[in-house]
Amino acid sequence: MNNAPDSDKVLDIRNLEVSFRSIAGTTRAVNGVSLDVRSGEIVGLVGESGCGKSVTIRSIVGLVPSPPARFENGEIWLRTRRGMTETVSLFKDTKALRQIRGRDVSMIFQEPMRSVHPMMTIGKQITEGILEHEVVDPAEAYERTIEMLDLVGLPNPAGQMNRYAHELSGGMRQRALIALALVCHPQLLLADEPTTALDVTIQAQILELIRDLRERMSMSVLLITHNMGVVANLADRISVMYLGKIVETGTVEEIFKEPAHPYTQGLLASMPSLFSQPKTHLQSLRGVVPELSMVPKGCVFADRCPHVMPKCDETPPVVELRADHSTACWLYADVEEPHGPDAATTLPAPSDDGAQAESVPSVDVIQLTRSEPVSDTGEAPPVDDGSVQLQIENVALHYPILRGLLRRQVGTVRAVDGVDLTIRRGETLGLVGESGCGKTSVGRLVTRLVEPSAGRLRFGADGQLEEITHISQKEMKRVRRSMGMVFQDPLSSLNARMNVRNIVGEPLMLHEIARGKAVDERVGELLEMVGLRAAHQSRFPHAFSGGQRQRIAIARALATEPSFLVADEPVSALDVSVQAQILNLLLTLQEQLSLSMLFIAHDIAVVRHVSDRIAVMYLGKIVELGNALEICVRPIHPYTEALLASIPLPMPGLETVRELPKGDLPDPANPPTGCRFHTRCPYSQPICAEEEPVLRPLSGAADHFGACHFQDELDLQGVEEIGDLSPPAVVNAGENMSNTQAT
Amino acid sequence: MKTYILQRFIQMIIVMLVVMLVSFIIVELPPGDFLTTLREQLTEQNVDPKVIDSTVEMYRARYGLGENWVIRFGKWAWSLMKGDMGYSMQHNRPASELMGERLSLTMWISIATLVFMFIVAVPIGMLSAIRQYSAWDHSFTFLALLGVSVPSFITALVFLLLSVTLLGATTVAGLFSPEYVTAEWSWAKFVDMLKHVWIILFIVGLGDTAGTIRVMRARMLDTLGEPYIDTARMKGLSSAKVYFRHALRVAINPIISSIGMRFPQIISGSTIVAIVLTLPLIGPLLLDSLLGEDVYLACSILVVLTLALVIGNFLADLALAWLDPRIRFES
Ligand code: SF4
Ligand code: SF4
Repeated sequence: MNNAPDSDKVLDIRNLEVSFRSIAGTTRAVNGVSLDVRSGEIVGLVGESGCGKSVTIRSIVGLVPSPPARFENGEIWLRTRRGMTETVSLFKDTKALRQIRGRDVSMIFQEPMRSVHPMMTIGKQITEGILEHEVVDPAEAYERTIEMLDLVGLPNPAGQMNRYAHELSGGMRQRALIALALVCHPQLLLADEPTTALDVTIQAQILELIRDLRERMSMSVLLITHNMGVVANLADRISVMYLGKIVETGTVEEIFKEPAHPYTQGLLASMPSLFSQPKTHLQSLRGVVPELSMVPKGCVFADRCPHVMPKCDETPPVVELRADHSTACWLYADVEEPHGPDAATTLPAPSDDGAQAESVPSVDVIQLTRSEPVSDTGEAPPVDDGSVQLQIENVALHYPILRGLLRRQVGTVRAVDGVDLTIRRGETLGLVGESGCGKTSVGRLVTRLVEPSAGRLRFGADGQLEEITHISQKEMKRVRRSMGMVFQDPLSSLNARMNVRNIVGEPLMLHEIARGKAVDERVGELLEMVGLRAAHQSRFPHAFSGGQRQRIAIARALATEPSFLVADEPVSALDVSVQAQILNLLLTLQEQLSLSMLFIAHDIAVVRHVSDRIAVMYLGKIVELGNALEICVRPIHPYTEALLASIPLPMPGLETVRELPKGDLPDPANPPTGCRFHTRCPYSQPICAEEEPVLRPLSGAADHFGACHFQDELDLQGVEEIGDLSPPAVVNAGENMSNTQAT
Repeated sequence: MKTYILQRFIQMIIVMLVVMLVSFIIVELPPGDFLTTLREQLTEQNVDPKVIDSTVEMYRARYGLGENWVIRFGKWAWSLMKGDMGYSMQHNRPASELMGERLSLTMWISIATLVFMFIVAVPIGMLSAIRQYSAWDHSFTFLALLGVSVPSFITALVFLLLSVTLLGATTVAGLFSPEYVTAEWSWAKFVDMLKHVWIILFIVGLGDTAGTIRVMRARMLDTLGEPYIDTARMKGLSSAKVYFRHALRVAINPIISSIGMRFPQIISGSTIVAIVLTLPLIGPLLLDSLLGEDVYLACSILVVLTLALVIGNFLADLALAWLDPRIRFES
């Protein structure tokens, strides 16, 4: 063991190479990765999907099945209770590996919903781990499990012991899984996208928990994620991975203030942050992550890099920029003093996304006249002068809960419970909220995919508002011609057995707009409009990447030249860089076609970026409504503040001081009395549980509405204030990048 | 859990009632009065007119013929429950007499087939999934495919052929050696039956076993890909514990819930085999009665088989609820 790493390191991966064999050939998923984690440190491994993060982290504990995987090269040293151990050599020795798993190193996974065994009690699953590694009697293991459940913040830990997975919410399951992972006090926790599947407020709680446990259990954490915000808040150091290679490593501060590698720069710039200028184009990387079998020779990033040069055909060297900051890029290899003080400003920056950038100048947003919602507060409804696209009044959607043999109704889910909204022509209204808040239902209601239980919908195709609440499906078909819809999951919303021409052309044929050859032509135009090739009409959806599929879905939605678009989480299933491309595309199209849009998403940063106004929903009700920037700077409802606080900001060292909302989202079938947020609100007063606050304008601001009893008194924090406190690093970095000319 | 069992129980009763009602309607459907037909038949057979009168009278009273249909149905159902299966026109004997032994044999063979299927298919399917793409997996995938696609009567014929030509046997067909066929039940007869029954289990169960191997393999593969299996592995558990404690109980679910459904399959499968091998099972009798338009017999058999099926389903549901907390909490 003479080449064992120094004892300060908990994990040391050296030059790991893992390849996969299949009939199609051999692909190298991990291509020479070196990475270390020191005592007590949280290291973030960041990158988009398919870049090899998961294989790397799973290799540490031998969870990559071999075959098909082959460990071609490299060592993984892990500090265990028996000293430094090399684990790659243990892969054949399952017994030794098993002793390490759960005891020296543990792992939590991406999907808490599916990571807890569905048919075993929580208690049994956790004690099983203790009993596997330690000689203790079951009663003691039981006690320790309860203690652990308490430590991870599960309410009533003893009561949780006999519960099953389906009785716990996602956040509680992830807590239970963390307890399971840490019950034997491992020194290293591997976290594989631990919060990706969770709601934002729950995500913030789990991140907080991991940070807290790191101290209390004095362990190290290796966290992999695609979300730059998550690592900024949590990690001490970051490694950025792209196509099986680490392209940049550094402390959190260095990476965020002076990102060196063009890929890191691109990733940072393509995230809509809470500080970016809304409705402007994001800097996005061109193209998509290529298939592993198509990796460019030399620098793996070459085909997407805006600074690519002839030399990039060769593998770039790893250049030490500073003591704790290195990158693998030719740009820095020849610079004599690569770590000069102003290295950052001389760094070249990625240019805008190729095709779109050329055809579209950045969008100048004309400030729209602010509209008021029609609400039960006695506000005069806006005059119907044709400037309103959509108006919904007191709309509700109630589902009965049926039980038993006779399908008796035992309750009602009030998915949407009295919502008023107005969308003006050319305006984008953002609808934001966590899962189960009813935002998707609102989208389905306005397009009449579901029948409203109450209320009134009026839609103005291109003139006066017209009542569409109860019109027949036949009439609705005519109205739908003016409505486009884009959904979250492009793969499942596109019929896999239809080719692109038929998918995009279907609405044209349905509405008898075009026929035969004319369809081909129009489809071609549409495809080009969304940045695809007209020639790809005959292909099928699976031949496209996620981002391209979303483009197809957008082309389809726009086929009938609608004036109104409903976009329901259009980017949440996409990688960061692709997400930016799609957001840019939506902004461009909206400008070109003067679309009105209802933009629904859970991520308030994304919503803020594209919207003129934002409506925040919580459990079927709108709790705040107002100008997009205004809401983010000066929220008046505690829930909005909580949403803003929960967004992990890509700004290291910036601890949110605000209190996070407690607990889980309540059951929508059984919402709390009074103010629905009172069970989680840090400002809750006795009156909140009794009286339901109505949505009413903030005193002195006619266009900002809130539904909190204390909205006029509370002094809530938005984001800009925090942005001002911090060194203007990221904001400027983003700006600099776009200003600096590429060499 | 209690409400769940109660629910299932009520469902079971409802299904039973519906099937009985349908059977009843079928029994009532033929034009002309059952009694008239009966009388004619008996007359044809030169039965003493007095006996005819009394028989007819007995049936009239028992089935409430001539009264309204609700009462008729009630009486018919009641007599079924008491074990009176009606009268077979074709065989001129009470249906229950005809069914008697055949019924219990059929049940035993079905249950034995199920057990055989479980014992053979579950381990093979599981191992095929664990050793995916191994020689073991490939061979059983092939065999299972064969088993699914070859109809059981062919297997039966091949068996007949092989044992006659190769072994010179004369007694493959049938459930007993000739000397025991008509004998009283005795230990010797039972042993003799065991000697024959395994061939029948094999032939009848082959298709289902092969199918179950495939289901088990696919389910096990799915389950092994689930994140909670990774969680289990990361605890440091041995593979055996991961497979048996964590994966098996999830993977086996659909197989248990399909048990109820398998009964009719096994019975129909065994019918064909029973015809080829001349076994005294219920299937051939049912076929016979259907061909002979012997309504009472046919309906009685149907009702009894349905009862078996429904009870089988009920038991499977109970087993599932016991295994799977999600079902237990559903209600
Ligand atoms: S400049 Fe060359 S080496 Fe550096 S990232 Fe771009 S392609 Fe790779
Ligand atoms: S009404 Fe009360 S509980 Fe509701 S948001 Fe306002 S302060 Fe919080």
